[in-house]
Amino acid sequence: METVGFLLDGIFTSLQWFNLALLIFGCLIGLFVGAMPGLGSVNGVAILIPITFIIPPTAAIIFLAAVYYGAMYGGAISSVMLGIPGASTAVATVFDGRPLAVKGEAMTALTAAAVGSFVGGTVSVILFTLFAPPLAEVALRFNAPETFALMVMAFATFVGLGGDDVPKTIFSILIGLALSTIGLDLITGKPRLIFFNIPGFLHGINFLVLAIGIYGIGEMLWTLEETKGKVQMSKLSVNMKEVGRAFGALKKTIMAMNIGSFLGFFVGILPAAGATPASLMSYGITKQLSKNSKEFGDGVPAGVVAPECANNSASTGSMLPMLTLGIPGSPTTAILLGGMILWGLTPGPLLFTQEPEFVWGLIGSLYIANFFTLVLNIALIPAFLMVLRIPFAILAPVIFVLCVTGGYAPTQSLHDVWLMLLFGFAGYILRKLDYPVAPAVLSIVLGPLAEKALRQSLILSDGSMGIFFDVSEKPIAAVIMYIAIVLLIMPAFGPLYRRLLKKKQTA
Amino acid sequence: MSIIKKLALVVVSLSLVAVSSVSSAKPFSPKKPVELIIPAGQGGGADEIARLVQGVIEKNDYASKPVIPINKSGGSGGEAMTYVKKKAGDEHTLIITLNNVLTTPVNQPELGIDFFNDFTPLARLITDTFLVWIATEGKNTAGVETFDDFIDLARGNGLVMGGTGSMSEDELLLGMMRGQFGFDAKYVPYSGGGAVAKGLVGGESDFTLNNPSEQMGFYQSGDSKALVMMTPERNPAFPEVPSSYELGYPDLEYYMMRAFMAPAGIDAEVEKYYTGLLHTVYHDDEFQTFNIDDGKLMSWLEGFGLKDFLAIEYAKHGEIIKNFN
Repeated sequence: METVGFLLDGIFTSLQWFNLALLIFGCLIGLFVGAMPGLGSVNGVAILIPITFIIPPTAAIIFLAAVYYGAMYGGAISSVMLGIPGASTAVATVFDGRPLAVKGEAMTALTAAAVGSFVGGTVSVILFTLFAPPLAEVALRFNAPETFALMVMAFATFVGLGGDDVPKTIFSILIGLALSTIGLDLITGKPRLIFFNIPGFLHGINFLVLAIGIYGIGEMLWTLEETKGKVQMSKLSVNMKEVGRAFGALKKTIMAMNIGSFLGFFVGILPAAGATPASLMSYGITKQLSKNSKEFGDGVPAGVVAPECANNSASTGSMLPMLTLGIPGSPTTAILLGGMILWGLTPGPLLFTQEPEFVWGLIGSLYIANFFTLVLNIALIPAFLMVLRIPFAILAPVIFVLCVTGGYAPTQSLHDVWLMLLFGFAGYILRKLDYPVAPAVLSIVLGPLAEKALRQSLILSDGSMGIFFDVSEKPIAAVIMYIAIVLLIMPAFGPLYRRLLKKKQTA
Repeated sequence: MSIIKKLALVVVSLSLVAVSSVSSAKPFSPKKPVELIIPAGQGGGADEIARLVQGVIEKNDYASKPVIPINKSGGSGGEAMTYVKKKAGDEHTLIITLNNVLTTPVNQPELGIDFFNDFTPLARLITDTFLVWIATEGKNTAGVETFDDFIDLARGNGLVMGGTGSMSEDELLLGMMRGQFGFDAKYVPYSGGGAVAKGLVGGESDFTLNNPSEQMGFYQSGDSKALVMMTPERNPAFPEVPSSYELGYPDLEYYMMRAFMAPAGIDAEVEKYYTGLLHTVYHDDEFQTFNIDDGKLMSWLEGFGLKDFLAIEYAKHGEIIKNFN
C-alpha cells in the first residue's frame, strides 16, 4: 500500500535526531504553556513562529505541532490540580477533574487525562492517515446550514448537562448566549452592547475570562468558605497500588474514549470549530449517554477522559482542513497556516502530492509525539501531585495570581481582569443559589459560532428556516437537525415517561 | 507543577531584566520590545505580513529589541485604532494597516478617531490586489469563460458572493461594481479570506473577490479560476488573467494597502528610525521573494508621497461608503 510507505517515511523523518529533539522540546514547551492559565497553544505557537524561519519547514511544523499537541495534554494539569482551566481546551476537564482531585483521587484524574489524550490522539491520527482525502471532501461540503445544525445538537446536549433542574440550566445557557453577543456584530461589523462606551467591550467577552473567573476565582471563594482555609488533601502516596487503581478506573471509560475520539476528530475537521467546542460537546454527549449520568460533575473518570480524548483528537483533525483546504479548523491552526505560507508552502488540495515529505513528516511526528507526551505525563505525575501538599492558605494566593495573569494574557487588557473578578463573584453567587454554571461557559463558546452560521444560512435562504429541514437539498444539515431535536426532547420526556410507567404500574 | 512554577519565575525575572536594561545611545533605538498592533484576527492577510516582518527583523537582527505582534481585532479595527490613539507619544507602538483604518473612522464616528491627526504614517510596503474568482465547476456559473460573460450572467441572476465581513474591502468593492456594471449580488460574510475561498469551492457561493494568496491553493489545483485582476497590468503570479485596463474597465481598480503607522506625537528621530527599519525589511531578499511569489505588489512609499496617497484613499473610501448606504 502506498500510504503505508509514505507513513513509514514520515515516521523515519520525525525520528531523525534533529527532528526528534525538536519534537520532545516542543512537547515540553506545550505542556508548560498548556498548564499555565491564560497561555494556551495559540500563544505558544504564535510566540515560536519567528524561530521557525531558521529551520527547514518539515522540522518547523514538527516542532510547532508538538507544541500544539503538548498543550492539549498540559491544559489538564492545572484544571485538575488547581481548578483553573489551563487553556480553553481544558475547561471541560475541570468539570470532573477538579472534584476528583478534591476527593483525593488526583492520581486517577491525571492518569485518565493522559491516557484519554493518548487514545484520542492516536485514533485520530490513524483516521487521518487512512481517510484524509475523502474527509477533506466532507469538510468542503460542510457549510453554514450544516454548522448551525451541529450547534443546535450541541446545545441540545447541554440541556442535559445541568442535572435535573431544566429551567435553571436554560437560564444558565441564556446568560452565556447573552454575554456572547457583546462586542462586534458578526454580520454587519457594527459594535453592539458596548456598555458605557468602554472600548474593552469591543473585543467581546473572551471565553477564557469567563471560565477562569467562574472556575478559578469562584471555586476559590467556595473552598475558602467551606473549609475556612484548612483544606489539606490526603492520600498522596504514589505507589504501585495507587497506579494500579488509577488504571483500573479507566475500564469504565471505554464509551467516553470512543465518543471523545470520533466526535472530537469529526468536529476538528470542520472549519472554524476546533478543540474547545469538541471537548465540551464530547463531555455533554458522554454524560447524556452514560448510565450513571447523575454522577457527572461530582468526579467520575469518564468526565475527564471524554473532553481530554476529544481535544487531542480534534487538534489532529483540525490539521486536515488546514493542509488540504487552506482554512484553519481552530485558532492555533490559523497561526500554523500563517507559518506554512511564510515558509513558502501553499496549503491546498495539491499539498499532499507536491510536498509529501512535509505532510507525511507531520503525520508521522504526530504518532511519535503522542507516545512521548504520554510517557512524559505519566512520569511527571508525582511532580504534579506535590502541588496538593501545599496548604490551601498558601495555594489560594497563588491561584489568585494565576487567575489574574490568565485573565490578562489573551487580550492583554486590564479590562478583562476586572471582568474576570466580576465573573468570579457572580459564579460564586450562582453556585450558592444552586445554578449550574457549565452551560453558561459552553454557550459563550458556541454562541458566536451558532449565530454566524444561522445568519449566513438565513441570508442564503432569504430568511426561510426550511434550509435546515430539507432532506433532499441539504441532507447532512437536515439529519443532524432531526437528531438534535430528538436529543432536546429526550431529557424533557424522560421523567414524563417514567412517571407514566409508574402510573400504569400502580393502576 | 513546582518545576513549572520555578520556570515561570525564571522567565518573568529574565524578561524584567530585559526591560530594565536601558541603552543610552544618542540616535533613537527601542528601549523595550515594540508592540505591533494588528487590527485583524490571527491568520489573516495583515497578520501574515506582521509576522513576516517580525520574523525578518528577528532573523537578521535588524532591531535592538524584538517586535511583538498583538492582535486587536474588535470592531473592524476600532479596538486597535482606539488603543493606538490612546498611546499618543509612545515610542514603542506600531500599527499595520488594512483598509479598515480608512473606513472604520467614517463608519463608527462614536469612536472619535481622527485618521489624519491620531497617527503618524511611516511607510507603505506592499499593495495587495483583488481578483474576481469563480469555481471551475460552479453550478450557477457554468459556461462563464470571461469577465464579460460573468457580468451578463450576474445582471440577470442574483448570484451569491462570499466575502470577509460587512463593510470590509470586498463588500465595498461589490458596492463599487454594482454602480459600474449594474448588477447586484447576495453578500454572505465569512470569517476570513480562507473560509471565503472554501465557500466558493464548496459550492455555497458563486463568486468571490479574494486576494491572490487566499485562493492560491485552489487556483493551483484548478478548483477555482480568476476572470479579471483589478490592476492596470497583468501580474506575473497569474499570467493568463487579464487586467481590468485590458478589458476596457479602467475604473475597476482597487488595492489593499499594507502600511505601518505610529501613534501621533512622536519625535522626528523616532519616526526616522522606524521608517529606516521598515526600509531595511522592505529590501530584504526573503521579504521581496515571499511577497512577489504571493502575487503582491512591492510599492514602497514614505513621507509626503504617503500622506498624499492616504488623503486620496481616505476620500475615495468616503465616497464609496456614501454611495453604498
